[in-house]
Amino acid sequence: MPDLIEKNAPAQAVASAEPKPEKPRSLGLDAWHDLRKRPVFIISAALIVLLIAFAIAPSLFTSVDPRAGDLRLHYLTKPNYLHFFQADWFGYDGQGRSIYARMIYGARASVVVGICVTAGVTVLGGLAGMIAGYYGGWVDTIISRVTDMFFGIPLLLGALVVLNAFTTRTVWSVVFALVALGWTQMTRVMRGSVITVKQADYVTAARALGAGTARIMFKHILPNAIAPVIVVATIALGGYIATEATLSFLGIGLQDPTISWGIDINSAQKVIRTAPFALFFPAGMLSVTVLAFIMLGDAVRDALDPKLR
Amino acid sequence: MRGASQAKWVVAAVAVALAATACGSSSSDGASSGPVNAQGTFSYQSSEPQNPLQPANAMEVGGGRVIKTLFKGLVDYDPSTGKLRNQVADKIETTDAQNYTVTLKSGWTFHDGTPVTAQSFVDAWNWSANVKNNQINSDWFSDIQGYDAVHPDKGDPTAETMTGLKVVDDTHFTIALTGPVSYFEYKLGYTAFSPLPKVFFTDPAKYGQSPIGNGPYKFVSWEHNKAITVSAYDKYEGLDKPKNSGIVFKNYSQAEAAYKDLVSDNLDVLDQVDPSDLASYKNDLGDRAVDQAQGAIQSISFSLYQDSWKGQDKAKVRQGLSMAIDRDTITKTVLQGSRQPANSWVAPGAMGYKDNTCGEACTFNPEKAKQLITEGGGVPGNKITVLYNADGGHKEWVDAVCNSIRQATGVECVGDPKPDFKSARDLIKNKKVDGLMRTGWVQDYPLNANFLRDVYGTGAAANDAGYSSAEFDRLAGEADKATTVEKTAELYQQAEAQLAKDMPAIPLWYYKTTAGYSKNVQNVKYDSFGDPVFTQVEVKQK
Repeated sequence: MPDLIEKNAPAQAVASAEPKPEKPRSLGLDAWHDLRKRPVFIISAALIVLLIAFAIAPSLFTSVDPRAGDLRLHYLTKPNYLHFFQADWFGYDGQGRSIYARMIYGARASVVVGICVTAGVTVLGGLAGMIAGYYGGWVDTIISRVTDMFFGIPLLLGALVVLNAFTTRTVWSVVFALVALGWTQMTRVMRGSVITVKQADYVTAARALGAGTARIMFKHILPNAIAPVIVVATIALGGYIATEATLSFLGIGLQDPTISWGIDINSAQKVIRTAPFALFFPAGMLSVTVLAFIMLGDAVRDALDPKLR
Repeated sequence: MRGASQAKWVVAAVAVALAATACGSSSSDGASSGPVNAQGTFSYQSSEPQNPLQPANAMEVGGGRVIKTLFKGLVDYDPSTGKLRNQVADKIETTDAQNYTVTLKSGWTFHDGTPVTAQSFVDAWNWSANVKNNQINSDWFSDIQGYDAVHPDKGDPTAETMTGLKVVDDTHFTIALTGPVSYFEYKLGYTAFSPLPKVFFTDPAKYGQSPIGNGPYKFVSWEHNKAITVSAYDKYEGLDKPKNSGIVFKNYSQAEAAYKDLVSDNLDVLDQVDPSDLASYKNDLGDRAVDQAQGAIQSISFSLYQDSWKGQDKAKVRQGLSMAIDRDTITKTVLQGSRQPANSWVAPGAMGYKDNTCGEACTFNPEKAKQLITEGGGVPGNKITVLYNADGGHKEWVDAVCNSIRQATGVECVGDPKPDFKSARDLIKNKKVDGLMRTGWVQDYPLNANFLRDVYGTGAAANDAGYSSAEFDRLAGEADKATTVEKTAELYQQAEAQLAKDMPAIPLWYYKTTAGYSKNVQNVKYDSFGDPVFTQVEVKQK
């Protein structure tokens, strides 16, 4: 762990005044140096970049309209694995739609849900955790008990109940449901982290110098307490994508006309005997995506918080 | 389930041994047939009834089929030919198609032992027709004199009984109609005209949870959202005595699950094979697969009660949408040939069916469809939704219909699934649908009048679209006054022509019964209603 040693002794490095003095690196920069040498990170990051490209500009990868169906091509048309990037590469689904095109277009819903839910729970949960950890006392008690209450609701069951209230469900209703039920995890992590950092000398020093509450919170505590939250959030991101697909599979998540792998997996499971390829591609894509985010989360954790390894 | 039936089997073993020798040889119609267990029960794929089990309160199949096994009316239809035959009635006489004299057979009893008399019928009909009792099929009695008094359009009833019904003695009563209805006897075969025992009137709501009828089966139990059990009634007097000792109507929220249960012999008789298993069901089931014509039609109705669909020019839009649906391809691919494309509003088996009454409007023609929709001022919001129940295997074809409309006309179209039949029906019945809705009609009696008057007449119970056309009502009224059934059927064809102009509902396709049965049962036949002939099902000995 050469990086770690360096990090802990930046003052020494400057003091010894070597010929090529290295600038002290921030935690983020330090993590980046660590990450870019890891094959796991490189592979998962490449996959995620590709997925995000699918999500932003699916038409770059296929010119086929994912909702256009030609019933004459219904299931019976087997995939032609040599027709790279063409409509019939992975065959056609029950409505005669190109499975390849739907696989590409399905990335958008997953990526948007994954990123938005993660952002939502990090902001909401992080804020609640920071307030609870910083103020302590009865504020902490109230927030912690509310967190406990939400924690008791199983995510999937709670999402079923919340989503049933929507008559038409879009990506945003799914995001809303998952954020509303998922923020507590971040609150717990943030609260614990803030309580630890709050004891640090530099916080006391800042307070003694007359820094305001907001300044202490956001300038001194937040940058030092955020690492564990980022780690948990990155790992959870893959989980949120899987949850969205699960809900859509159960018919309670996304709805037509939104294209979602979960919906496609649901309609394909019934024809697994006659057209297994219709199930394989959306399901495979989902697995790869979830795996990529979880691997990325692992790598980020190792880099940011080696203690957790 | 399995354990329970085995326990019963042990108790019944002696009786079976005696019965087996008598029945075993009489029913050998193939290699798969075996000795019959007359004490055996079988299970049937069903759904939760929408309403309490009262004879005039079941319009959907979930409750309707249970009611059919529990009750027998004056007449019923021969399961193999569809011909009318007398059950409780000894004879029904009329000279003018308006005044009928009914003579009952003696010896019929309800399951509680009380006799079935003329009073049982008259009281039952008066109660069911009464607006206060809120029976879904009350308008079936609207032909009878005095219906207006017990079921006024607004306000409280001014009488408790209909003047047209008079009890002469225990076995005779007379029916006077407001005008001649040549096919009235056909209507009498519908379950709404069932008799009710005295105990019913003491607490109709409680009765609805454990009904007492006079049919081939008596009620045993109703586990809500799970199953309804009925058992053979040994004092049943009618034709077709049960050859088994009972039926379990098992609820399935997924048609696919029912099919899987059937293949593994955990379910005995199937209602319908779900679309996704249609490709393989004949292979899976071999000679236990059933594929035959059925008197039922599938359609999509418009919510004409919404402002967006009002106005005569919108009829053109509706015709345009109909022309945007490629019925041929959808029935051949998504529905695996299990349906026949429709070009009229009446199913082919029914008397008075006329081919191609819908004409050009039911032919796939994207160009003309676009043109008609533009001429009619376009679809409101350029978007439609099709409400359907997700538990009936409808998703595939609703999606296909929507794709067809969208690709032919550019009108955005999405399915709007509701979790089960009941929640979808409740929205439809309460006229709370915003766009389009899946509607289907299984004949109550095999005559075109049933597909037309009872679905598209103003205020008819099954008029889900809220359609109201003075011209249609006039023609239907004339048809009802005809003195022969043949004439009626012919006149109803003219009324049907009005539907082609207004297009309150888009006819999609006619049903075929695509079903099957397990290895545990034999002699399973389906009637033109698509129901298995429950009484004739034989349970094999294990």
